[in-house]
Amino acid sequence: MLGREMSENLEQELELDCMGALCPAPIIQLGKAIKTLSAGGTILLRADDPATESDIAAWARLTGNSVATLEKYVYRITKR
Amino acid sequence: MVTADAFDGERPLHPAGAKVLLAAFEQGWASPNGGSQASAQARHLLAAAREEIAAGLGVSADEVEFWGEPALISPIAIMGAPNFSVGKFVVGATERQEILAVGAKARAMATIPVSVDGILNRDQLLEEIESNSIVAIQSANGETGVRQDISDLSGLVGALNAHLHLDFTASGPLIKLPSYWSTADFPAKSWSGPAGLGIMLINREHRWANPLAAATSASTKRAPGSFSLPLVLAAAASLTGWLQDTSKESARIRALITLMRTVIKQTITDVDLAGSGAANESLPHILSASILNISGEELVNALSREGFAVASGSACVASAIEPSHVLKAMGLLTHGNMRISLMHGVQESEVKRFLALLPGIVERLRLDAGA
Repeated sequence: MLGREMSENLEQELELDCMGALCPAPIIQLGKAIKTLSAGGTILLRADDPATESDIAAWARLTGNSVATLEKYVYRITKR
Repeated sequence: MVTADAFDGERPLHPAGAKVLLAAFEQGWASPNGGSQASAQARHLLAAAREEIAAGLGVSADEVEFWGEPALISPIAIMGAPNFSVGKFVVGATERQEILAVGAKARAMATIPVSVDGILNRDQLLEEIESNSIVAIQSANGETGVRQDISDLSGLVGALNAHLHLDFTASGPLIKLPSYWSTADFPAKSWSGPAGLGIMLINREHRWANPLAAATSASTKRAPGSFSLPLVLAAAASLTGWLQDTSKESARIRALITLMRTVIKQTITDVDLAGSGAANESLPHILSASILNISGEELVNALSREGFAVASGSACVASAIEPSHVLKAMGLLTHGNMRISLMHGVQESEVKRFLALLPGIVERLRLDAGA
C-alpha cells in the first residue's frame, strides 16, 4: 500500500517507507505501525509529503509519543 | 430556514447592500468625475457613502480610499510606507500569503513566530522593530479566528514611530482601530459588502505615497480610482446594516462556537482546536479543527453531503499542495482540517444537527482510511 515497507532490524526498530505517499497516509501508517510496538520501541519513518514535517510533531503532541528528525524526510519515533 | 452557507466563510451580500446595488445599476449612475448634472449627483452620492463608511470604521472621510482591487490593498499599503526601501519589514508568521510575499521586495524581513494558540510573540516583535521598520499585523486570522491584541501591539510600534499596517480582512470592523496606525485594509466583504471593493485607510497624520502613483490618472494619486460607484454605495449600506446586525448577533454566535468547541472536544478523539477560544483571543464566529487520521477533502465532502458547507486548510484537498502555513506556524495538525464560519442568522438547531452528525462521519472516515 502506497509503497509502504515494514522490516525489523536487530534493535527491534521498524522501518516505515512512506516516500511518495500523500497526507494523511504517512501519519495513518505511522499510527498503525506504532500499535504493534511495546513501550520504548522505535520506528524509522521516511516520508517526503510536505505536510508530514509539521504533522508528525502535532501527532506526537496528541499521542504522547516522541519524534526526532534525523535528516530531511527521516524521523525516529519512540513509543511512550 | 438556514442553508449550508450559514457555516461557510463566503458571506452573502447584506440585504441592505443588495437593494442599493440593484437600484444603482438600474439607474446607471454617471461617472463622478464628469461635468454633467448626473456627475454632480454621483459625486454627492460618493461623498455621502465615504462619510458613512468612515463613520462606521471610526475614521475621517479623508482617510478613506476606495480600491477596485481588494487583494492589492495590503501589498500596496506596505510598499507605500516611506521607509519601505530602507527599513525592515516585520510581519507575523500567520499573516496572509499576499502580505508575506511582500517580504521578497523588502530590504530585510523578520517573520515573528506565534504560540500554539496563534498569538504573536510579543517579545520577539519588540526585539525586531526599529524606527524605520514597516510592521504588518492582522487584527485576526481568517483561517483560525485567532485574534491579536492590536491595541497592545500597536502601542509597541507607536512607541518607535514605525509604520504600522493593520490587516482587518478577517475581522472587518468587529475589531476597532487602535489609537496608533498608519494604513489599514478593510475589504467590503468583511462586513458582508460586495466583492470587488476594498477600503484602504491612510492615517492623515502619517506619511504614505502610492507606489503606483505614476500609473494612476486619479487626481489624488493615492488610489487608482478604478472602483465602481454602485459597489461603493452598496458597501456603505451593507456596513450600516451589518453593524446593526452584529450588535445583536455576535454574543449569540460566540455562544454557538463555544458550544461547538466543547462538544467536538468531548466527542472526537485526537483533535486540534485552533486557538484558545477566549473572547479576547478569538473572533466570535470562526472555528478551526484538525482531526487526526482523516483527509480534509473527504471531511469537507462528507459534510457537504449532509448540507454543511465548510472550508479546509489542509494540503489534502484537491486545490492545495502545501499545507496551510497558518496551521503549520501554530504547530497544529495540517490534515483533517475543517474551518467553520458561522453567519448571522445561523440556527442553533443546525449547529446541534452538525454536532450530532460529526462523530459518526469522523469514525467512518477513519475506518475507511484504515486508521
